[in-house]
This record gives sequence, structure tokens and C-alpha cells, in this order.
Amino acid sequence: MAKKQIPLIDTDIHERVQYKDILEYLDEPFKHYMKNCHWIQEKHMPYTQPATAGVDRADAILPDGRPAGSDLAFMQEQLLDDVGHEFGILTGALDPSPSSMHGWYEMAAALATAYNDWQIEHWLEKDERLYGSVHIASQDRDEAVKEIERVGSHPKMVQILLPIDDIMWGDPYYHPIFEAAEKHDLMIGMHHNEPPVYYGKWPRYFIEWHTLIPTAHMKIIVNMIFNGVFDKFPKLGLMMIEGGFTHIPHLMWKMDQQFRDLRHEVPWLKRKPSEIMKEQVRITTQPAEELTKKEFMSLIDQMGTDEMLCFSTDYPHWDYDSPYRALPNMEPELKEKIFSENARAFYPKLPDKRED
Amino acid sequence: MKEQVVCKTSDLQPGEIRESFFGKQNIIICRTQNDNFYAFMNQCIHQGAPLGKSLLCGATTGESTPGDYHYCHKDEVIRCPWHGREFDMKNEGRMLANPDKKLVSFKVRIENEDVIVYK
Ligand code: FES
Repeated sequence: MAKKQIPLIDTDIHERVQYKDILEYLDEPFKHYMKNCHWIQEKHMPYTQPATAGVDRADAILPDGRPAGSDLAFMQEQLLDDVGHEFGILTGALDPSPSSMHGWYEMAAALATAYNDWQIEHWLEKDERLYGSVHIASQDRDEAVKEIERVGSHPKMVQILLPIDDIMWGDPYYHPIFEAAEKHDLMIGMHHNEPPVYYGKWPRYFIEWHTLIPTAHMKIIVNMIFNGVFDKFPKLGLMMIEGGFTHIPHLMWKMDQQFRDLRHEVPWLKRKPSEIMKEQVRITTQPAEELTKKEFMSLIDQMGTDEMLCFSTDYPHWDYDSPYRALPNMEPELKEKIFSENARAFYPKLPDKRED
Repeated sequence: MKEQVVCKTSDLQPGEIRESFFGKQNIIICRTQNDNFYAFMNQCIHQGAPLGKSLLCGATTGESTPGDYHYCHKDEVIRCPWHGREFDMKNEGRMLANPDKKLVSFKVRIENEDVIVYK
């Protein structure tokens, strides 16, 4: 029996560049460093790979051995056509990518430019369903703003993937980036890229790190909200990618309660923290905690809105969530919101629903 | 469908998995290093991944204590190609982390060189 198609807006798909493919997009001397000096991105993670094919689904590796996510035709067949995606948002971010680079600002900025050009040419302009993320190297903020100005107006760029660093995103350091984002109708995406979550170090086990990714998200949300970013930039939206979603009600309750006690310290807040979240923060679902229908509905109830969650598969990674199996059954109206309409309403540059 | 020859024993090497059909059902046949054969539905009970792309391997066991790994099962564990959940072939395909759950399994016997699957 043929599978029922789901017209999904998938908020986390990883395309993958290979070093040899990005070379032609790099300016000198950075091309020289990669080609002749064999630069490769530093690797940090001290653990074994999480699953049987590294961080990928074993069945997403190409038959010719190329890495998962590196070939559009294969992705179309295995994911986009198979599920019936309406749109997919590319989030890249494995090496080589500026997202997890520290130090060597020049290389990171050159890599961001090369990556964006490669992404546009090989993905965004090759499949009308695919939309992209602007990669930047924010350790050099002014170069990052230039890069946003350079590619941010591309009609298929819908967000900026802001690298995670030790300057929290509520810091005024980032304001020029948010300004550029607003100007080009780009949202801000946070996708973990190996940020240590244990006081600047790695925990002992991968399972600890992977369990605690939402804490990295929580820190950024709290920081941006109490530092007044969302009031200063009312058009800005924050997409929290790949942390699951069951921590959201906790965070809303906690911030609201703290705000009632400590408002005097952050008097610039014009709205309750939970209201700010409901209006300007969205959360992708994967890796979905395995809830029963009753638990899931109760969680939505606790959030006070069914408009925050946006389905994501994280294809082709090992912790892929199947659109058919990851969430419990739900009413068609709610399903439509989570599987497409919430993301459509969030990203201003995604087209309206086709009436056909 | 009572029983069916699904392949020859020589069609798969020790440590290999092979996809086949039992009637209309897409199944996998697994051959361990000790030449035991097992058959399961080619669909993970978690989110439906194709188990034909699994890895047959060993696993760390419950006898391990913090900081001290105990490893065995040799190649008797199926690790799913997606989330890597481990299923113990020798124990009816039960999930190591949650033995209440198990893969859909079929019986297997070998006659001459034939691998025969039955209910
Ligand atoms: S689909 Fe097999 S472990 Fe998730």
C-alpha cells in the first residue's frame, strides 16, 4: 500500500558539502590553505559515534559511498518525494562550516561566503522546495553583517544560522546582526553545533550532552528575552532547532514567575516573557520526546498555544524523526499547524499556501 | 503462508544481513558468526527504519558498572540504521534498553542448504 504523502514544511534538513566541492567557491589564500595545506576543521567531540554510521542514518549514505546529505537527487528520492515535502529548510552545519569554527576569523568568514554560494547554486536554485540558511562567522561581526547584506536578500534565504559562541545572543554585540536580519526578513536559527553544555567542558558521556542540548537553548532564550532583544527588534524571530520541546512550558512558567518578582531589574520588558516566546520564538520538534497522545496534548495545553511547534526531521542524521511515526496522532487541524502552517507563519519569505 | 525457502545458506556470509520476502512480507535474514540464522520483519518497531541496513554487532551489557564496560553478545545484536537501538537476536529480538519491546520475528530452520522461514 502506498504511503500517504504529507505536505510537510520540514524545518531542519542537513545538506552536506565536501571539502573538495567547496574549494572552487573559496577565495585565495583560503583555497590554498584547504587545498595545499590540507586545512580541516578542528574536531572536538571525545565520544564514539552515536549510531552505526557516524552521525548519519546508515541508509542515507550514498550507494557510491559519498556522505549522507551530499547529493540532491538522492535526498529528493529518499526524503522530499517520498514524504511529499512542500518545503524544506536547509541547515547544513557539519564541517567544513563556519558554524562551529572558533579562532581564525578570516578563514571562518571566507568559508561562510563560499558555503552560502555553494548552497545557493547546488540546492536553493536546483529544487524549488528547498530554502536556505545564511551562514556567517559572527566572531567577526562586521564581516558577518556584510555577508548578510550580500546574500540575505536572496529570495530563498529565510534565516541566519547564528553560530554559538561564548558571547550570549542577548548581548548588544549582536544588534547589528539582528538589524540586518530584520532588514532582509530573515529569522535567527539556533542549531547546536557541538557547544559544550557542561560549564564550558564536555560531559563524560555523549548521552549527557545530547540530553542537555535544550539547556543551551534555554540559556539563549532567557538571555535574549531579559536583555530586551525582542522588544528592540519586533520583527525578529528565533527558531530553536533540534532540542526537542518538552522544556518549553517549564521555561515559560519559570521566566514569568521570576519576572513577577524581579521586574525592577529588567524594566524594559514590555511583555511577559511567555508572551514574547509565544510571539517570537518557535521550536522544532526533533528529537521528539516520545509522548503519548494524552501527554502531548497536555504539553500543548501547558504552552498555552499550538502555534509554537514546527515539525523537523533532521534528515539525514541518525536521530531523524519520521513524519509518520515521531509524534502521536492528532486532529487534522493541529497536525496542519505543526507540520506546516506554524513554520509558514514564522518565516516571512516562505510562500503562502498554494490553492490547488 | 506456512513456510518458505527464502534463500540458500551460502547467499549470506557470517555477520551479514540479507533482505528477502516471506509471502508479501519484507523480511531480513541474519547470519551470525556461529552460523545461526534469524529472520525478522524488515521494519524497525521504533520509527520504521529499514533493518536491512542494520549492523550486526556485539553490545555492552548490563553487567557493566559505572566506568567499567562489559562487552559481549559478539554479533548477536541488530543495531538499527537510524537511532541505533539494539535488538538481541538470541532473545526474540528484544530491545536491550527496553526488553518489553521486540522486533517482529519469524522462525527459521535450515534444511540441506535451504534457509526456511516459517511462522
Ligand atoms: S527506527 Fe529503529 S531505532 Fe528508531
